[in-house]
This record gives sequence, C-alpha cells and structure tokens, in this order.
Amino acid sequence: MAGGVTPARALAPPHTLAELFLGFLAIGARSFGGVLPAAHYVMVDQRHWLTPEDFTETIGLCQVLPGPNIGNAAIVLGKRWFGLRGAFVAFLGLFALPYIWMLALALLYTRWAARPLLSAVVTGVGASGAGLFMATAVKLGRPIARKPAAVALMAGCFVAVAIGRVPLLVVMPIGVIGGLYFSRRRML
Amino acid sequence: MTLIELGLYFAQLSLLTFGGLSSVIPEMQRYIVDVKGWTTAADFVHLFAVAQAAPGPNVLFTSLIGYRVAGIAGSLVALIGLCLPAAALTCAVAALWEGCRDSPWRGVIRRALAPLVVGLTFAGGYIIATPHTPDWRMWLIALATAAGMLRARVNPLWLLAGGAVLGGLLF
Repeated sequence: MAGGVTPARALAPPHTLAELFLGFLAIGARSFGGVLPAAHYVMVDQRHWLTPEDFTETIGLCQVLPGPNIGNAAIVLGKRWFGLRGAFVAFLGLFALPYIWMLALALLYTRWAARPLLSAVVTGVGASGAGLFMATAVKLGRPIARKPAAVALMAGCFVAVAIGRVPLLVVMPIGVIGGLYFSRRRML
Repeated sequence: MTLIELGLYFAQLSLLTFGGLSSVIPEMQRYIVDVKGWTTAADFVHLFAVAQAAPGPNVLFTSLIGYRVAGIAGSLVALIGLCLPAAALTCAVAALWEGCRDSPWRGVIRRALAPLVVGLTFAGGYIIATPHTPDWRMWLIALATAAGMLRARVNPLWLLAGGAVLGGLLF
C-alpha cells in the first residue's frame, strides 16, 4: 500500500461499471471505524478517480443536503460517470459487504440475546456509541459555541427533540428558518 | 402493511437527515418505540450497539431496525426508503450547484444548518444513553467514551471495546 506523497497523476475515472462496483465494494470493505477516510483513500489516493478538491467539493455538497453523506456521494458520482446505471451500481457496491456483515451480527445477536452477559456487553457498547455522538457534537459545536444565536439554536433543537420529544418534521423547518434568519444577518 | 408504513416513514425521514443519520436518531426512537411500539427502548439501544460494531455507513442502522420489524424485506425497504428521496434531491441539486459555484448562499446555508446538526447529534447521544429513566452507569460509560474521543484521539473501535468491558462489569 503506497502511502505518503505520491506524484500528481492523471485523473482516471472508472472505465467500466465493473470497475465502479469493485471500487465502491473496496470502500465498504475497509470502512471499519469510518467510511469517509476509506472513500478518500480508494477514490483519491489509490485509484485517482477524483482530485482531492473534487472529493471535498462533492462531500461538502452532500453534507449540506439531507441524506446519508457517503451514500449520496456514491449516487452522485456513479450518475456522473455512467448515468442512472452507475448510480445504482455504486450504491450497491458501497452497501453490499457492510449490509451482509450487519445481518450476520444481527442474527448472532438474536440467537444469544438471552444471555445476561451478552446483554450487558451490548448495553455497554450502546452507551459507548452514545458517547461517540456526544463527542462528535462537541467537536462540531466548538467553532460556533461563542455565538449566542448558534448556542440558542443548538439548545433549542436539543430540548425540543431530546426532552420535549417533538417530531423532527416540526422542529426542522422551524430550525432551518431560524438558522437562515440569523445566518443572513451574520450572527452565525 | 407494516412494510408500506416502514417505507413511507423512512422516506419522509430521508429529507430530514441533515449531517448524517445521527441527527434523526431521536426522531427514529420516538416513532419506532413510543408511537409504534415496534421495539422496546432497551432493544433500540441494543440494535444501535450492534450497528456500531458493523462497518459501513451508519445508515445501515435503519436496515437493522427494518430487519427487526419485518425481516429481510423490512431491512431493504428501510434502507432504500431512507436513501432514495435524498439521493434524488442530491442528484437534482448537484446539477444546479455547478452553476452557482460562487453564490454566497452556499455559505449562508452551511452556517444555518451547523447549529441544528450539533443540537440534534447531541440529542442522539442523550436519547441512546437514556432509554428509560436516567441510569448513572450508562452515562458513566458515555461520558468516559466522549472524554476518550476528545482527549486521546484513539480509534473509536477501542473506545467501543472499552464500553463493552465496562458494560459487562456494571450491568
């Protein structure tokens, strides 16, 4: 595996649907602990499908829009290269291996769930995963935590959803309108 | 019937999924556990934990919920339901986006969404760590993991393994 700085190489987008499928299959296969780094490695460093700037731009677009970021990116890129067939193939490649792995885990879990120790361990992993969410929220929130409007929006969202259990279909439009209002006035 | 309900629900959720699946976890929990009663709150946490242990995009958690509710068909319907509407929107916007590469609106929209994503992601953590009444053991594990992630920059998989050990000891 060649790491570090590689000399600039000509871009080589996938030529066939099979190549596209195998590339996304590779991303899914190496996505333990995060898909984004795996996607960057396969598409930019290893296969030269995209420039780093193009990669960032595509992911950025998918982050602004709703939907799973990497799933969206697979569909946008597949469509760019091969039309609708490409979108379908890229999506399938990305999800195939993780999906099978997930089903296998679910079957194992269902089979052994009655064991108290397994239940305890799984509860621990769940709580730990909750901690990862909180840490992610802190990381994302740090750069904007000094702005009162941002803090108000964050807190409002949290209280409405976590404590008030208000449906997201209600919270999100109100939040987006508030966010755009403050953002336009440079308060965010 | 359940399949249709499942598909329609996730399709509607699809367009609300800003900043990844984490922002809709509280909403999913509200609907799946409180409104529909398809799983218990404890089971929801367990399925979330199983999803954490799997590789791949974290949207696969939806297929795990779908699997629990309606088997293999449920798992596919939930995953496709969550992905399809957002993907269609993204493809449509991707074409427009090229045209307005320098529009100031891009920055405005990004800054408007950031605080919402933060609030919802934190709510996701809170909901998972508080399935019923607050339990200090779950919060201890969650806060220890969060501290580990923020301070130590270790691979998250090690933190989850630590959570597994603590869970085995405490519960």
